[in-house]
Amino acid sequence: MSFLDALIDHINYIGAMALFVIGLHTVVTHSNLIKRIMGINIMGTAVFLFFVAIGNVTGGVPPIIDQTNPDAVYINPLPSVLILTGIVVVVSITVYSLSLVIRIYETHGTIDQEEIAKMTSEDRDQ
Amino acid sequence: MGLFKKEGKTCNMPYVKKKGFFGSFTIQSSLVVLFALVFIALFIIGVRGDLGILSFVQDIYVLRVIYDFLIHLAILPVIIIAFPVLGVFGLMLFGRNSCNSRDMIVIFMTLFTILFTLFMYPAVLEEGVHLTIPSILWLGISFSVDMLGFTMLMITSLLWLLVMVYAHEYMKKEMHCNRFFVFMGITYSAVLGTIMAGDLLTLFLFFEIMTFASYMLVIHGQREDSYHAGYNYIFMGIIGGFAILVAMMLLYFTVGDLAFTSGIATLGELGAMKYWIIGLLVFGFGIKAGMAPVHVWLPRAHPVAPTPASALLSGIMIKLGAYGILRVATSYYFPLEGTPGGDPVWLTTHAVGSAIIWLGIITMAVGVFFALQQSNIKRMLAYHSISQMGYIVMGIGVALYLGDLGAMGYAGAIYHIINHALFKSLLFMVAGVVFYHTGESNMYKLGGLWRKLPLTATVCLIAALGISGIPLFNGFISKSILHHGIVEAHYYGHGLFYYAELIFIVISAGTVASFIKLFYYVFLRKMPEQYKSIKPEYNNLDTAMAVIAIIIVFIGLNPRFIMTTFIVPQLNSMPYSSEFVQTYIVGLTFFTTEDLLTMLVVVIMGFGIFIFGTKFHLFHLKIPYWLSLEYLVFYPMNWVIRNACQLMYGDECKYNEKTLKRLALKNNKEIGFLDRFVIMANVFNVRYEGRMIKSDAFIYTVFITGVLVFMLVMRAL
Amino acid sequence: MITQLPIINLLLFLGMALIIPLFKKRSFSLTTNLGLGVLFLVWISSIVLLYHVITEGAFYYQLGNYDRMLGIELLINTFSVLFSLFIVSLVIIIYIYSTGDATEGVAEKEYGRYYILLFILLFAMLGILYTNDLFNTYVFMEILSITTVSIISIKRKKENYTAAFRYVMLNEVGSLSYLFGVALLYMITGYTNIELVSEGVQSGWSLYPANILTAIGFMVTGIGIKAAIFPFHIWLPDAHSTAPSSSSAILSAVVVKVYILIMIKILFRVFGIDIIQAVHIPTVLLVIASIGMIMGSIFAIAQTDVKRMLGYSSVAQIGYIVMGIGMVSMLGLQAAFFHIFSHGLMKAALFLSVGAVIYHKKIRNVNEFDGIGFQMPVAMFVFSIAALGMIGVPLTTGFISKLNLGLAALDAGQVVLIVVLIVSGFLNALYYLPIMISAFLKDNKDQQRVMRVEKIPKTMLVPLVVLGGLIIAIGLFPGELLSLLEAAALSLT
Repeated sequence: MSFLDALIDHINYIGAMALFVIGLHTVVTHSNLIKRIMGINIMGTAVFLFFVAIGNVTGGVPPIIDQTNPDAVYINPLPSVLILTGIVVVVSITVYSLSLVIRIYETHGTIDQEEIAKMTSEDRDQ
Repeated sequence: MGLFKKEGKTCNMPYVKKKGFFGSFTIQSSLVVLFALVFIALFIIGVRGDLGILSFVQDIYVLRVIYDFLIHLAILPVIIIAFPVLGVFGLMLFGRNSCNSRDMIVIFMTLFTILFTLFMYPAVLEEGVHLTIPSILWLGISFSVDMLGFTMLMITSLLWLLVMVYAHEYMKKEMHCNRFFVFMGITYSAVLGTIMAGDLLTLFLFFEIMTFASYMLVIHGQREDSYHAGYNYIFMGIIGGFAILVAMMLLYFTVGDLAFTSGIATLGELGAMKYWIIGLLVFGFGIKAGMAPVHVWLPRAHPVAPTPASALLSGIMIKLGAYGILRVATSYYFPLEGTPGGDPVWLTTHAVGSAIIWLGIITMAVGVFFALQQSNIKRMLAYHSISQMGYIVMGIGVALYLGDLGAMGYAGAIYHIINHALFKSLLFMVAGVVFYHTGESNMYKLGGLWRKLPLTATVCLIAALGISGIPLFNGFISKSILHHGIVEAHYYGHGLFYYAELIFIVISAGTVASFIKLFYYVFLRKMPEQYKSIKPEYNNLDTAMAVIAIIIVFIGLNPRFIMTTFIVPQLNSMPYSSEFVQTYIVGLTFFTTEDLLTMLVVVIMGFGIFIFGTKFHLFHLKIPYWLSLEYLVFYPMNWVIRNACQLMYGDECKYNEKTLKRLALKNNKEIGFLDRFVIMANVFNVRYEGRMIKSDAFIYTVFITGVLVFMLVMRAL
Repeated sequence: MITQLPIINLLLFLGMALIIPLFKKRSFSLTTNLGLGVLFLVWISSIVLLYHVITEGAFYYQLGNYDRMLGIELLINTFSVLFSLFIVSLVIIIYIYSTGDATEGVAEKEYGRYYILLFILLFAMLGILYTNDLFNTYVFMEILSITTVSIISIKRKKENYTAAFRYVMLNEVGSLSYLFGVALLYMITGYTNIELVSEGVQSGWSLYPANILTAIGFMVTGIGIKAAIFPFHIWLPDAHSTAPSSSSAILSAVVVKVYILIMIKILFRVFGIDIIQAVHIPTVLLVIASIGMIMGSIFAIAQTDVKRMLGYSSVAQIGYIVMGIGMVSMLGLQAAFFHIFSHGLMKAALFLSVGAVIYHKKIRNVNEFDGIGFQMPVAMFVFSIAALGMIGVPLTTGFISKLNLGLAALDAGQVVLIVVLIVSGFLNALYYLPIMISAFLKDNKDQQRVMRVEKIPKTMLVPLVVLGGLIIAIGLFPGELLSLLEAAALSLT
């Protein structure tokens, strides 16, 4: 019972961890470059979820000052603000890597990492 | 085998032969040498107060002011080190147009070094020259010249001058003369710095510079075998340097001071660490000294270098290895002056000394045995250098082993350093002259040259008599002192050294045999046809050789001069029992019946070995390869490497058939360990680099999991 | 006024990056001269700041006057100022070189973009050093990695794209790990300001050990990836070897060091010596540093492309620095700092001299260096000085690093580390010496026997000579620098 309680209490953290592992698994097992980027994005989402979840206060309201309700408990706005920046960063990285994938496809004719590695090693042997 | 490059210009500019008696380079350089010799003699005699020279100088105001200024100049060590470097700049600036002016610059710079070294003599007699330059290299470097350093400086600079005179003539037939003289100058400067070092850091600094600068001398010929020898030389030099560096760190950490002062009070309490320190130092310096297990670079490097370089490599540079051992052992591992003989602090010194004696004995034996097998003159001389270094190292061992009674070993080591420098460089010069005229260095293909090169034959005979230890020549003196030393080690110390003495005698006999062989095959016998046309004329080669021969005979006839001038003052400043020094060293009588008898036995045995050896072809033994040292040392490593490939690839080693075939070679002669290692690294790289790059995120996963688990486990424990 | 200098420095770099597009069409030399001016301004202001910090002590700067609990705070102490000065000085030298050799593989219309990226890179590096905020560090780190990856891929060749992609993937994983660590710390302490976090961590260590432990693990791993510490070095050789030579020098000599400085900041300022020793992070660092020092050199031996070889050599040298950090002592930290300086100088010199060879002779293969020393004496002399430094020959900075590291290892009671140090030095000799020997002592096809100073732009020659001179000068007189570095190490605690 207590285990289940703990599970429910920390469900957001556990969810974040699960997402992180899923993302990492995607990056490790896939050799398709686009899928690897997607894995990174999932990992990023996991970290953002975790960060935002920290800021949550049980029973809190969104941090918009409400004059009518001075006793209101606000949730911590700072993590959300930070994560906004984080999201921007990850989006830009994603965009950059996607553009690199386009270039790689143009130059190599494939977006499979195994094949690219094979081509590079052949290039080096020559 | 054409050691000289036949194709291309030998030197970029012409050697101008000037008219007139004083215009000739030979006469000029002979005058310089004469001046140097006379000046040295007068100065030393003068300062010691004989002949009234000093009072003559004191009487004349101008001379007195100059004299006082010079001998009190604190930066003399820096000046001495700077002179050869100045010479390098000078020859790079002015030497481009004429070989004669370039060589004159070199010779004059060497002369100035001698003069400035001499000016340290009065100070050395009193309390030594000390100079500290803080903040260089973080810990600060310091110079300190005592009698030991001064002795080394004198023999170095004198020999260097003569070799430079010799080199002028010899280098006419070599390429890249300017480069040779540039690196000769840098090496000279580094050698002087090594000798004058006042602490281990300074010594290490100059020692390393010397290693790298002399590499350029070894590799000068730029042939395949010189690259090979060069690799051997430089990598062993680097290993030696690292050993000294580690020892230096340990010393700095434990003693807190690198100056050459007694550290035994602190070191004695360190347990095994003190043996590690001295072991690393002996290993590091021993590589340069050509000590037995790590001598392998020496017989390769010395023959391929141009003769002036090999004369100096054998004459001076390998001595610096012995000098390094002597310096660190007699400073850090010696108690303060005045410590009584039975004091327990001597125990460490005692243990270190006995190990060094045996190292020396092994070195002697290995050197002579291989020397007897050689046919190349320079290679044979190189092996003899190893053997003679064994004598010196043994002397150093005795100096340590016997504690306060070790003065005999110390005196013998120093004396033999001086003597060996003289006759070994002379012998290399002889080999160079023979090669210069005939282009041949295999002694079995030469013969009868005494008719054509009478002076060379004479000096070769003198040097051979010297190195064999025949009475009236210098080698006899130092060898009999060393013999006294090893007998004393047996007498005062352990009974086992009785066998050391026996080995000593047998090895001396081997030396005699080997030089009988050299002289017989090169200068006696019947002359092969092609050498009948040699027409030598008197030149610089002969000047240099003759002067060294005269010094050898002079020392042989006046053994006491070196002893009282250079060695006894050193012994007096050491913690040796002054009573012992007075009775046995100062009162030492040379040419006693006992010594002469020993020598007679040695000579007879030598002839015996020679006759026996030629009769039964013992000088052409094909030693099975598996007995050689490289094989024994590298066999396990090579085995590991050969099998690592199998481990990585399974049975089929796919990568680049040709490379792998080289890797799998069974014979270690065809492929060195380092080569094998590099190929191994290549195979490893091909196999794993791509795989590692591909598995980037996997490595991350493993690493993060590993670190987290590790931290948790360590916390739980 | 002086307290405003840090933000002025940052804005100068950012402003310069923004201005370049306006100049682009008019004149290239105007752009470079203006950039040089900006660099010198920042250099002078860094010196002023250093003087100020040494005499008056460290100071804080609140961005926009927000409280440190909410806003971003800059901390200007000896550590940050000294290393920003190092970065700016080294970049000035490389920058002057790059005006001669930006051309290597970069299209002409990209020059302007290259300098934009360079100034944003500088902005990010200085920001990382100045900032006193964990999340702000993350943002600067991301700016840094995005500019780095752009510089790597600026050459528009296929190997550049793959190298850049590899870099971006692994580095993004690293950044996210770092961010995850920040989140864990924020969870306990509620702040991102380093000092407030540090206070929270010290008091929360007994309550939430699991959180802090996980945070350490993720942060060290994350930054380890970016700093190319051994098992994560995999992106480095390709990235550094494909970039244009001048930027290879910047990446290897400076950018990687910045990440190591972040790691030092996090280990020593956020967690403190007690906690990291309690979780045995020093052991982990020492082990991976030792393996990296050996393996990096072994991989370097096997390379035929000279720039890849230098990249692997960097991996080994980063091992030296991490080893100094892993000793967790004042001496170790000082040695690590010194090696950051000395490796920065030596690696810059190596990359630039090799860059000059590539520029002049179009040679990249190690086996083709025969006789190059006669054709390009200056470049190869500088190469030799730096390579001897890598081996640890006295009179170069490398020797002082080795001495310092060895003494620190003895002080920490780890004699094994000295053996690793020596073996690594020997392996360095194994791949640097043959290049030097073949450059100076072997004959090439052209049979040029007389040394003649190479005909490459003066702007390339002078920086090379300056770097070679600095290596020897600091190798001869390291005392001043070492005492400054000691002050920097002290300012961390």
